[in-house]
Amino acid sequence: MRIALENFTKTFGETTVIDNMSLTIDSGEMLALLGPSGCGKSTTLFAVCGIHRMDGGRLLFGERDVTTLPSQQRNVGVVFQNYALYPHMTVHENIAFPLKVRRENRADIARKVEKIAGLVQIGELMARRPAQLSGGQQQRVALARALVREPDILLLDEPLANLDAKLRLEMRSEIRRIQQETGITAVLVTHDQVEAMSMCDRIAIMNRGEIVQLSSPSEMYDNPSSDFVAGFLGNPPIAFLDGTTEEGGFRLANSRVTLPIPSNLAIAGSGVPMRLGVRPEFFQPGNPLKVTGKVSFVEIQGREELYDVTLENGAVLRSIQPHGGNHKLGDEVTWGIAQDRILAFGPDGSRL
Amino acid sequence: MRRAHLLGLGFMTPALFIIVFLFLAPVVLTMMFSFTNMSSGTGISSGGAYEVTERTIRLLKDQGFPETTADRLAEDTYKIDAAGLAAVQADFGKAFAQEIEAELSGKSFAGRRDLERELKRLKERPRSTRDLKKAADLFKRSILNTRFETEQAFLTSVDELDLGLGETETAELTRTAYTGWVWTTENYRLIASLPSTLRAAGNTLIYVSFTLAFSIGFGLFLAVTTFYLPSGVATTFRTIWFLPRILPPVIYVMMWKWMAWDTGFLSSFLAHFGVPPRNWMLHSDINAWVVVVLINGFVGASLGMILFSSAIKAIPETMLHASEVDGANRLQQIRYIIMPQLRWPILFTTAYQTLSLLTSFDYIYLSTDGGPGKATEVWALYTFHTALNNYGGVLQYGLGAALAMVLVVIGIAAALIYLRLFNFNDLVAKPRIEQ
Repeated sequence: MRIALENFTKTFGETTVIDNMSLTIDSGEMLALLGPSGCGKSTTLFAVCGIHRMDGGRLLFGERDVTTLPSQQRNVGVVFQNYALYPHMTVHENIAFPLKVRRENRADIARKVEKIAGLVQIGELMARRPAQLSGGQQQRVALARALVREPDILLLDEPLANLDAKLRLEMRSEIRRIQQETGITAVLVTHDQVEAMSMCDRIAIMNRGEIVQLSSPSEMYDNPSSDFVAGFLGNPPIAFLDGTTEEGGFRLANSRVTLPIPSNLAIAGSGVPMRLGVRPEFFQPGNPLKVTGKVSFVEIQGREELYDVTLENGAVLRSIQPHGGNHKLGDEVTWGIAQDRILAFGPDGSRL
Repeated sequence: MRRAHLLGLGFMTPALFIIVFLFLAPVVLTMMFSFTNMSSGTGISSGGAYEVTERTIRLLKDQGFPETTADRLAEDTYKIDAAGLAAVQADFGKAFAQEIEAELSGKSFAGRRDLERELKRLKERPRSTRDLKKAADLFKRSILNTRFETEQAFLTSVDELDLGLGETETAELTRTAYTGWVWTTENYRLIASLPSTLRAAGNTLIYVSFTLAFSIGFGLFLAVTTFYLPSGVATTFRTIWFLPRILPPVIYVMMWKWMAWDTGFLSSFLAHFGVPPRNWMLHSDINAWVVVVLINGFVGASLGMILFSSAIKAIPETMLHASEVDGANRLQQIRYIIMPQLRWPILFTTAYQTLSLLTSFDYIYLSTDGGPGKATEVWALYTFHTALNNYGGVLQYGLGAALAMVLVVIGIAAALIYLRLFNFNDLVAKPRIEQ
């Protein structure tokens, strides 16, 4: 079902957390709300499921206006960060709860619970209590409970934050599989860009209560609309070089190093402050646009090695290279930047 | 023993002191008292005197002592003995005394009239009838209402009455006439047989069960409803409902009395609807019970409300949010999410309040004092009345102590059952709510 937020505003006391935000989630789509803590992504989620009242704007589920409906009448499924399973009920009772409070008959409940338990693969755990389950199993139960009533929308609030690294990988693909099998519209709230990129069809990246950019993961990675988006996506993160434009090029702050400006940019003139963003994979020994610096940090990751290179003026570039480079801390290196992959940002952070 | 152990013992000393002197010692003393017949009649100091009173004679008859003999104990006997003769010599002269000694020495008479008749026949007798009666009275020997400090003196005087008592009868008389306290198991037999103890037990059952039900139910109601109120309003309501707990009992009960008097608030208010004024606290048994249960119930509900409120607040907020998005309305949320998580506080409050209600009577004492009649006299109040405070002024310390012992035993048994049933170790070990 298509979900639309129109001019959504949320205030807590005097503080306006979200001002006039609009967002449309297509039917069957999985959308990520990505952003640092305090950006308003969870607030948006709680407004959609009805736990928080909206202070302005409209919320549409399909054609139905649910803005003022309490959460009981909205037909949403929510997976909370701590799962919020009912500790005094068995797994079966937990999953059956949304159906039980709707007074569905016993046979229907049993059939639906069994079906959904099969989907999330917890059929053999039905008699246990939440305290007897591992984190991943609890996660699956919470998912089953959210899905069993066939909600219009599935909301996931940091669903993987409480899992260990290995389980997180597994549940990432599991949640995506279940979402695709059921074809449900889903919103994933996360601060982890890897989760957002790997699980979702589209990402809405939020900062200070605003959606900064809304596009597909690869589009967002390649074409960030601002230095905030560029800095948020990618691990290891992008490196920024501050400087000013100059006749025929870009001069790094506090140094005599100049770089040619990427050919696809229209230059506003001389002496304009500018930021260049260089992703680690585009700063490699083989690339043409050479800069010289000292290796100031080495991290061996196994398949790859990560280097920080501190330039003459103190700016830092990152490089990620296949294993075997054998560069040492303090080595002076001259590596190149892939000129056509440089991202340029204006003084206000917006993409040039 | 390591020094650390000594330190621990040191820290425990005050607690041990309190337990031994303020709990164990009173219980042991009560147990000892319960096996005596101490009362305000016998006193509590050891040793007593021997005295035959109207009550002694009644008791003797009840015990199957020969009736005529018992009656004789109460009657006056006139016996011509040395002491009487000396008294006559002092009052009426040597001649008369010597004549009596010569004629009547050693004789005894059941009534004054018999002696007077004999005296009238003597030559040296006083002329006036009044003097004659006076002289006869000098020979009057009676043990009724006479206090004998030793058994020996008592038995000597009894012998003088020439009742012809056998050994067992003498023993029975001595025992019954003894005014001090003795060891006995009589109190427990009385408890088992007296109709008034049965009534007190029934009253206690009514009192505990109804008050408990009301205080738990109303406490839960207050906790749940204030939970859903905005915090400012909720705090106000909780403060109001906590008043019964923090008001001094005397003032709290005074307010109830003021409300329930026949010229009080309730009667004045109901007068508008044509209800004749009456004392709503003591008019009927039902009135008294309602008032007693409410007075105690509100106090219990105050405590329950605080405990349940904090337990509800301990439920993670997301769990309540989860139940809301799962579609549960308020009632379903209360029934399926909140109530199951209040299981332990409810069990705890039930256990605690049962034990305290069993032994408490302060609010009843201040309000109905067990009335009307003995309709609301619970076991603890019955004990208090028996042993320490009653209208007749006969305080039966021994019986009261035995009644108190019954409560102690029931209390300990109930505590053990509760500890066992609720697995107290689990209850205090770790929080019931995960995360």
